[in-house]
Amino acid sequence: MPDLEKLHAAVIEGDWKAAAAVTHAAIARGVAPLTIVGCLVPAMDEVGRLFECEEYFVPEMLLSARAMKASMEIVRPLLAAAGAEPVGRVVIGTVKGDLHDIGKNLVASMLEGGGFEVIDLGADVAPERFIEAATARHANLVALSALLTVTMPSMKTTVDAFQAAGLREQVKIMVGGAPVTQQYADAIGADGYSESAAGAVALARKLVVV
Amino acid sequence: MRTALEHRQPDRIPLDFGSTSVTGIHVSCVAALRHHYGLAPGPVKVHEPYQMLGLVEDDLRAAMGLDVTGVFPRKTMFGFPAAGWKEWNFRGLDVLVPGDFRTRTEPNGDILIYPEGDRTAAPSGRMPLGSAFFDSIVRQPEIDDEKLDPADNLEEFAPVSEADLDHIECSVRTACGGGYGVAATFGGTAFGDIALVPAPFLKNPKGIRDVTEWYMSTRTRRGYIHRIFERQCEIGMENLARIHARIGDAVDCMFVCGTDFGTQTSAFCSVPTFRELWFPYYQRVNGWVHANTAWKCFKHSCGSVERFFESFIEAGFDIVNPVQCSAAGMEPAELKRKYGSRLVFWGGGVDTQKTLPFGTPQEVREEVLRRCQIFAPGGGFVFNSIHNLQAGTPVENIVAMLRAVHEFNGVAHA
Repeated sequence: MPDLEKLHAAVIEGDWKAAAAVTHAAIARGVAPLTIVGCLVPAMDEVGRLFECEEYFVPEMLLSARAMKASMEIVRPLLAAAGAEPVGRVVIGTVKGDLHDIGKNLVASMLEGGGFEVIDLGADVAPERFIEAATARHANLVALSALLTVTMPSMKTTVDAFQAAGLREQVKIMVGGAPVTQQYADAIGADGYSESAAGAVALARKLVVV
Repeated sequence: MRTALEHRQPDRIPLDFGSTSVTGIHVSCVAALRHHYGLAPGPVKVHEPYQMLGLVEDDLRAAMGLDVTGVFPRKTMFGFPAAGWKEWNFRGLDVLVPGDFRTRTEPNGDILIYPEGDRTAAPSGRMPLGSAFFDSIVRQPEIDDEKLDPADNLEEFAPVSEADLDHIECSVRTACGGGYGVAATFGGTAFGDIALVPAPFLKNPKGIRDVTEWYMSTRTRRGYIHRIFERQCEIGMENLARIHARIGDAVDCMFVCGTDFGTQTSAFCSVPTFRELWFPYYQRVNGWVHANTAWKCFKHSCGSVERFFESFIEAGFDIVNPVQCSAAGMEPAELKRKYGSRLVFWGGGVDTQKTLPFGTPQEVREEVLRRCQIFAPGGGFVFNSIHNLQAGTPVENIVAMLRAVHEFNGVAHA
């Protein structure tokens, strides 16, 4: 599988052009879309490991995420057509009032690279939009991000909104962001907290199998 | 304050709130503090609209028992002068904003603000409903690597104007007349500060202005970034020479750069990358300052940055801020032990992510006293919270913080 070795290397090296070219070539040779995803997942796991051990930093993570996305954009329609099921479906966004989305984007990329279907609602997302998307897309996981202390209460508002909508049993909610802690996650009734993008993938995998 | 900056034991810990845009107070907290201390009522000036920082006037400075005042650039982050004040209702709070502060409220309650106050330009900042600060609207032209020109990322770095020099000279004269320590921000020497990259002060920013693209460019377009920094450094040093010719050694320290190298748990780059991409320019700027002035060099960087401290020292930085003790590897006693004789810790006084906004006054007092006990011995400490006092911080916690510092100092405080 020389193509997939090249794809693995392209993601780790953050070369999006190579990742796209190799993906096209692999599909042209008849490689199954799921096999390609099966290559992206360990590649992004390795990127997460490099970040955790501080061989990689934010720029390298962003480059790898871009390369992974370049491949996924080619593969995604084929996966849908084949009816392939993701590891889980995650609705993600920064909470109402918060425009800081770099951390959220990294988590979204790591989750997608981890085999999840990611519905990224972007920044400054109101609770009702999280609920609408989670309902419409049959998500089993919701990921909330906040950078500011002033917007952290929007996390609680969002968790409460899921409760009020009677959806709290259907979805697990995970939270993260610089000022957020496990203690805060527990206090607002979230199901999980991660302090890093790589940790978020492990947490998400744990939550969806519970 | 000068004694503390020279790493000698001062009679008491000097306090700063409001002297820079990273040691400031949100306008809502300034209003609450003025009310608490029974000062003259009336709208507070928002002197830095990006973070909605309120101006700490002399009466509040005295009431809080502060020791430092600031000199700020003539223009705000949105490119208009902090002058010509007018009233504005900030979600129920009457404040004063600069005359060219022009906004539009969207149907969803978001507030948009315009660069240079020009409503014909695309807005450059947005404050969502539910937030209390603006953030940049990224205006990124399509990038063609073949045509990228460092000059496009240098539009904001120009020779200092006579109007700027007049403003600085006037501000320094006023600041020095109060008997306080003076921290000056001249601008122009922040290399790749991510808050400045989107250029909310420009009407039509060119070059690399998207935050994500910039971060990736520090890896993939390093030559381009070097060329920006190289020219920026030359312009900045020429400007410093002209500024120094006007004001001499009147100020105590100069805010050099606010580029953040730390995250909550890690860093934005490795130490070797820092030394290759940033260090040479910091060394040149700080070297010029130390060779030609009596100013101390102030470096702001949030997050987990202990790994960079030896390089900061070698690059000529004298002061670090905000000393984010809640970040990984930023244990206060260890920082003091390793760097306390070589770096001034301007900050680290109390956590603003948890303790100050969400703790009790007693918890605030205890944390402040612990930090004072760690950082105060031998000087090298200017008390400030870890970054600006954020919107929503209970005023009783702010007052508890101030009382604790004054208690440590043995000074009576209201």
